[in-house]
Amino acid sequence: MPSGIMQGTIIKSVFYLLSGLTCVFAFLVVASRNVFHSVISFALCLIGVAGIYLYLDAEFLAMAQILIYVGAIATLFVFAVMLTEKVKMPPERNRYILISAVVSLAFLMLLVNIIKKAPWKVSAALQLPLSLTQLGKLLMSTYVLPFEVVSVILLAALVGVVVVGKAQK
Amino acid sequence: MIPQSHFLIVSAILFALGIFGALSRRNAISILMCIELILNAANINLLTFNKFSQDPQGLGEVFVVFVIAITASSVVVGLVLVVKIYRNARTVFIDKMNLMKW
Repeated sequence: MPSGIMQGTIIKSVFYLLSGLTCVFAFLVVASRNVFHSVISFALCLIGVAGIYLYLDAEFLAMAQILIYVGAIATLFVFAVMLTEKVKMPPERNRYILISAVVSLAFLMLLVNIIKKAPWKVSAALQLPLSLTQLGKLLMSTYVLPFEVVSVILLAALVGVVVVGKAQK
Repeated sequence: MIPQSHFLIVSAILFALGIFGALSRRNAISILMCIELILNAANINLLTFNKFSQDPQGLGEVFVVFVIAITASSVVVGLVLVVKIYRNARTVFIDKMNLMKW
């Protein structure tokens, strides 16, 4: 069926475009000298990651990623940049840049080698992707204890932020 | 269908870039952003294995929910500490923060 094949190629090429853009924006986060520019590319990179989540059958998590990361965390980073230093800054690198580049490149090569050679277990009959109802039921039945622990951690972070950020007398 | 290894390679690239940034930047806010990149790479990995080897079905998605919650709280605490240190020491460069050194 030619139209199905056409659709498949479009889906594939959109995936590769998306992952390429995500990697480019991640590189800009690391490489740009201006901190504000790196915050902007950080938000765009997170939107790209949300697109990759869509390819992994996790629609709810993609939406949550955009809401939480791009809506809240990137905004927080913008506020932190505005509250601290001038945007134009003196050298943004420390003196370990060369050795850290070598280390991370070697680690990337190692990871790619492992990923290509390892016999990943792929289940023969892929089941349907998890629906949002099933995810909610899992969170409220099987994984209810870690769910409650996470809510306690969120509360602790909230209280801790208020205590630390309070103006000193 | 897109093979499993391509998702894993994208995540490996994100992870390596995050490691490189966290090791080489001086600004504490940039370092927090690079740590976020690393955690996003971990999330992509979790969802990939959740899709391709569904051993207990949905475990990966549940785990990603927890990772997102933990990440949000950790980054909020980190940014508050950075802003607070900036108020006291007038710097965000981690190699200038030496208040607790003798």
